[in-house]
This record gives sequence, C-alpha cells and structure tokens, in this order.
Amino acid sequence: MKTAIPALLVAVALAAPAAAQRPPQRPPVRAPVPPVPPAPPISFRPFVVGTEESFAAIDTFDAGFGHTYGPFFGGGLQVLFRDRFYLELGASRFKQTGQRAFLSGGRPFRVGIPLTATITPLEVTGGYRFRLRRLPRVRPYVGAGFGSYGYRETSEFSDAGENVDTRHSGTVLNGGAEFRLHRWVGLGADVQYTHVPGILGLGGVSQQAGENDLGGVAVRVKLVVGR
Amino acid sequence: MRGFRALPVCATVLVAAGLVLTLRGQTAGDWRLQILEHVGLPAIDEGMIADESHTPSSPETLRRAALLEALLQDRAGASGGHYRPGRVIVKFRDEAAMPDRRAAVRAASDTGEIAVRPSYADFDIVRIDPAEDAEEAASMLRQRPEVQYAQAAYRVHALFVPNDPVYAQQWNLPMINMEKAWDIQPQAGSAITVAVIDTGMAYENATITPTLQSFRSRNGTVYPALGPVVIPYSAAPQLVSATGSSRIVAPYDFVNERATPLDFDGHGTHVSGTIGQLTNDGIGTAGVAFNVKLMPVKVLASEWDLLFAGFTNISNVGGSDDDVARGLRYAADNGAKVINMSLGSSGPANCATNPNQNDCSPVIEAALRYAVGKGCFITIAGGNEFEDNVPPFGVNPTSVLAEIASRIPGVVSVAAVDRGKNHAYYSSTGSYIELSAPGGSERGFGSAGFVRQQTFDSNLTDTFLLSPSEFHAPRFDVFGNIGYIGTSMAAPHVAGVAAMLMQQGVTDPAAIEDLLEKTAIDLGAAGRDDTFGFGLVDARNALRGLGLAK
Repeated sequence: MKTAIPALLVAVALAAPAAAQRPPQRPPVRAPVPPVPPAPPISFRPFVVGTEESFAAIDTFDAGFGHTYGPFFGGGLQVLFRDRFYLELGASRFKQTGQRAFLSGGRPFRVGIPLTATITPLEVTGGYRFRLRRLPRVRPYVGAGFGSYGYRETSEFSDAGENVDTRHSGTVLNGGAEFRLHRWVGLGADVQYTHVPGILGLGGVSQQAGENDLGGVAVRVKLVVGR
Repeated sequence: MRGFRALPVCATVLVAAGLVLTLRGQTAGDWRLQILEHVGLPAIDEGMIADESHTPSSPETLRRAALLEALLQDRAGASGGHYRPGRVIVKFRDEAAMPDRRAAVRAASDTGEIAVRPSYADFDIVRIDPAEDAEEAASMLRQRPEVQYAQAAYRVHALFVPNDPVYAQQWNLPMINMEKAWDIQPQAGSAITVAVIDTGMAYENATITPTLQSFRSRNGTVYPALGPVVIPYSAAPQLVSATGSSRIVAPYDFVNERATPLDFDGHGTHVSGTIGQLTNDGIGTAGVAFNVKLMPVKVLASEWDLLFAGFTNISNVGGSDDDVARGLRYAADNGAKVINMSLGSSGPANCATNPNQNDCSPVIEAALRYAVGKGCFITIAGGNEFEDNVPPFGVNPTSVLAEIASRIPGVVSVAAVDRGKNHAYYSSTGSYIELSAPGGSERGFGSAGFVRQQTFDSNLTDTFLLSPSEFHAPRFDVFGNIGYIGTSMAAPHVAGVAAMLMQQGVTDPAAIEDLLEKTAIDLGAAGRDDTFGFGLVDARNALRGLGLAK
C-alpha cells in the first residue's frame, strides 16, 4: 500500500503529457458537437484512498512514535446523486509500532517496550460537488459527516485488560477537488479534519499531555473509478 | 583432594607467619590498622540465622548506641544535634580573596585555620580548637560577606533497626512487583553502577590487623585491651560472586581516607544486598537489580571503625556531613548513575527557607545538586523518628536530608511500609515524603515482617556487646540472611528500580523520579500524602512506562 500514492502520482504526471500529445496537424473539420450525455440520476463509484494525517494529539504521538503524523490506507464507495450530491462510505487503517513512554517536564521519554497502535476509521460523509464552467474536468467538493473510530493498543508484557481495544464516534469535515483523468477514472485530493474524543485523554501519555482528540488534519488522495 | 586442602592450609600458615612478623614490628603507640587485601579464606555462609535478638529498644541496641556515643566524642549543639568537634564546614564565595577568607575565619575563631581542601569537595574545612563551639563559629562565619554557607560537621547515622532474622519469604520484593519487572528486564541493570553511600561493603576478602586498646563504654564498663589481633574478613558471597569482584567499581572510604571501604557494621552490606544481591543462583536471598555494578562509598563510621582507629586517631575518623558531601561528589565523578543514601539526621523544618541555621546541611544539598547535575538519580531514607521525641524538634522531627531530597528533582525521599502495606511505625512523615517502599516492621508480623538480606552474623561482629570477660576480637567472615527494618531498607528498593530504568534508557534523574511517582501504587489518602508520598513504588509499572491511551 505504501507504493500506492507514488504510483498514483506517476499516473497523474503521465496522464498530462499524454493528453498534450496530438496527432499531426490536419485541416480542421467541422464536426457536430455531440450532446453531453445527461448525468445518470445515481451512480456508484468505488475508490481507494491514501491519507497522511497530522494528529491533533501531538505530544502523545511524538512520545510513542517520535513523530506526530502517519499514513492511513483504505477505500470505500461513493454514491453520486445527479452528479452534484454525494454520499461516501469509507474505511481505512493506520498501524504503527513505537514504544511505551511517558512525559516529564513536557519532554517525552521512551522506555524501550514495543507498543503497537492501530486506528480503523469507518466514515460516512455527504457533500456537494461544484461545477466549474471553464474547468469541466475539475469538480471541487465539500463534505461533512461522522465516523466510528476503532483504536487498538497492544504492548509487550501486558496483562489481561491492560491493552486497549475500543471504538468511539467522531466528526468529519473535508473539502477538495476531483480531477477527471479518464472517462471512468478520477483523482481526488482533499483536506480532511476529524475530531475523535473519548479514546485518548483517559490514561497513559495522552492523559499526561492533556490530549483527548484522536483525530487531526489529513491530506487525502483518492482514486475514483466511475463516472 | 589432599592437595586441594593443603593449599589453603599452607596459605593460611604463610599469612599468619607474615602477620606475626609484621605485628611484632609495631610499637605500642602505633595504632594504624593494616588491611591485607585479597588475603583470607572464603566466607562462611550460615544461611538463615534465627538466634539473634534485637529490637529497637533491646538492650543490645541501646548498648550499641551508648558505645558509639562514648567513642565518638561528639559534641551536642544548642539544638541537640551532634557534630564532630574541631571543625567547621565553610563554603566561601568564589570572589572572596584568600586574605579576606582568612580574616573572616580569624574573626569567627581565634584558633581557626583553613585546612588543605579535601578531595571531592567544593567547600573548605576550617580547623578550630575542639573545645570551641563549632555551631557558634559557624554562626559567626555566616555573618561574613565572604561566606556562602557555614555549618558544623553534623553527624549522620544509618537509618535502620536491626532485628531477628527469620526463615520466611522475601515479601518485600513481590510487594513492589519485582517478578514481573524481571520478566521485562532479565539483565537487571547490568550496565549501571549504583553507589552505596553507607558503612562500607563486604566486597573483598582481606585480613585486618588492628591493635585493640582498652575502652570504656558510656555506662563506665571497662573493656580490656586485646592488643594486636588478626581478624578475618570476607566478601559477602551473595554480593560478590566466587569468580571475583568485577562488579565492584571505584571503592573508597571517606571515614578513614583509604581505598578499602570495608564494612565493619553490616548495614552497608545489607543495603547493598537489597539493591544487588546475587539472584537466581539457587541460594540465599534475591536483590532488586541483581546485575548492577556496585560502588562502595564509606561515609558512616561504625563502632569498630572507632575501636580500630585507636583513641589517638579517633578524631580523624569521619562520618559527618562533609564526608557525605565528598562521597556524593566522588560517586558522581566516578561513574555512578544511581546513588543510595540510607542515612540521615534530624533538624528544623525550615531548612528550605533558611539553610544557614544549625542542623541544616547546605553542604550536602550542594553536593546532591552537583550529583544530579552529573546525571545521578539519588534515593534518601525518609527517616525513622516517627515515634521519637528529638529535642528541640519534638516528636516526628524533620529528616533533614529527606527534606532536601523533596526539593531537588532527581532526588527522592523514601518512607517505609510494613508487610501489610501499612505505614511502618517508625517511618517519619511530613510534606517531604515522596515515595514508599518496603522497610519492614515486627509489629503485627513478628519476625516475618523483616527485610532480609545477606550480611554479617552480628553475634560474631558485635563482640563489644558481650561482657568484658567475654569480649574478644570480631570476625567478619561469617554471613547469614539477617532481618533489618527501617527506611534504610526502603530506599535501596527504589534505587534498584531506578537502576533498571536507567538500563532501559531513561537517564534523566528528574524524569526517573517523575515516572516512579506517577506509576506508584497510591496508599493512604488519595493522591500524594505525608505518610506514603505518592505511594508504594511499583517496579513493573515503572519499567513499562505508559501507553498512549492507558
């Protein structure tokens, strides 16, 4: 999955020069402009998504992993209504191994015991897609929704009940644009904000840091299949 | 087999012959103690010893205290604190020129002279007439602009109450969750050096040859002179493996100013055992961080240190604040990463706001800050005077060093709990208590409530407790698993856990204190309280640190 984003970017880069290539110049032929087919009243568009999230719980993630961001990979299904409104169901996953740690004087100290955190968001968002007359291949959109966020934390040398396996709800806001690469393929990029209370802040480093939001701000790249 | 036995016999004969020749060469006035290192037979391990009987108010304990007081020739200050006569500890301001310093000393004492600065000291010793009041001289020096602080050389003492050894489980180690801590870190601190600032340590075999003079106990009992004697001394077999003493680092004796800090008391060896008793060898008792390197730093004088020194040299025998301060600096400069101080003294409660008063120890506070600055984490016993009335400070007086500990991140004061996780009856309480650990108590538990480690069989070392007719030379080569109680026993538990934390890469002393306090098991009133501090240290919780969410 780590190669998905670079591959996607390469595809986008190759797509633009290809589009710019033209066959040898011919005399212009006036052909009748085919009518734009009307958008179907409803269409289903599967997608895969790669996300790089900057976590709101900066001190917590810095203590455990040494950095405050991390990748999510996943996919989902987007349902378009008359090409303007959409409902999107997505699932993704973050998994990283760091160390158990603690904060002292605001500084993180790791104790050398491996800790693995897994976040599995299930998100439902709805939104609106704008039309740009001059750029028909670009469709800006904004959306909002909610999600259910699973959080699993396991450590070595844990006794029963000491690991964490829980799920809480959160809210989602996003906005970006989709670029049509092909009649059936679109590439979307957006910024997504999530707020996920109820998991962090009740114990551990996050409680020390006074951080209770498992969400953050993410940059997402989506490859959408469908019209 | 015959040849195998003949070897130690021949060695013993040769050593004895050498000693006879050596001792015959001594004159009557030559009281110097000779220590022949690495010369001696292996120790005798008696295992559990149950035939000793000492309680806090037992005749043996009282007689030991009386003898020490009679031998030390200390003076009692205006507040009742005991100090070494003939000296004042002075820290001059850096900008004060030598002529000004001398003028300040002369203004405070007609006989005052600045002595050659001792090693591992950032302070000076001003020698005065032993008949002079050192507290008065210190007070006058403190008035001078050239002086940062001045204090009498207050005597510190070990904070323990020896008691009956028993055949029972070491309840103290499971209480702090050591089994699971060892699962996490089987190497148990192998890369860390722990300095034990105490009465010394039984860390090597030796033969010692003092000349024992007649002495008088405090109640007037006269003990006969034994003359030159040959005393066997052995390393504690559960402290130093039979393969040698490679775990021993930079030993030093500030009491007698020599490089052989042999323990003639048993306290330092017991404390060292709690920190690093050899473990998983199928014999004896276990220790917390059983693979650490140990640095014996002797700053406490025992009865035998004084008797071995002879009365002509007894004023040179240390055991006061300046020795503790030098010991701290020495340990920090020679690679110790954890320092245990199972010692203390009583004093006023307001040394924090007014350190320049009698019975405070600014010289030790400065040394503690120096050691922490060098990366050392330090544990200090919280005090054993909860039930004691110490004039003029009253019942449950402030333990001066523990109070200092509470003001320095990276230095922690440790109270004691009994086998039931209750407040141990002797453990001092106050706003300065930061953590608790097993210190043991016989109340409610009898002999099963003691903290047991390997140390000398005091039946064979404390012969000064016998009647004069039975008095004989001690031997320091017979060991057993002896029960002690006190905050002296509590502090080394925390030191051992701290060493294991250092081994896991947490090297910041303040962070170690922080983690130990955050992961302690809360006892007593919710949150920090004056009896248990932040609670009972939990080795497993500390070594695991915290998760992100839990």
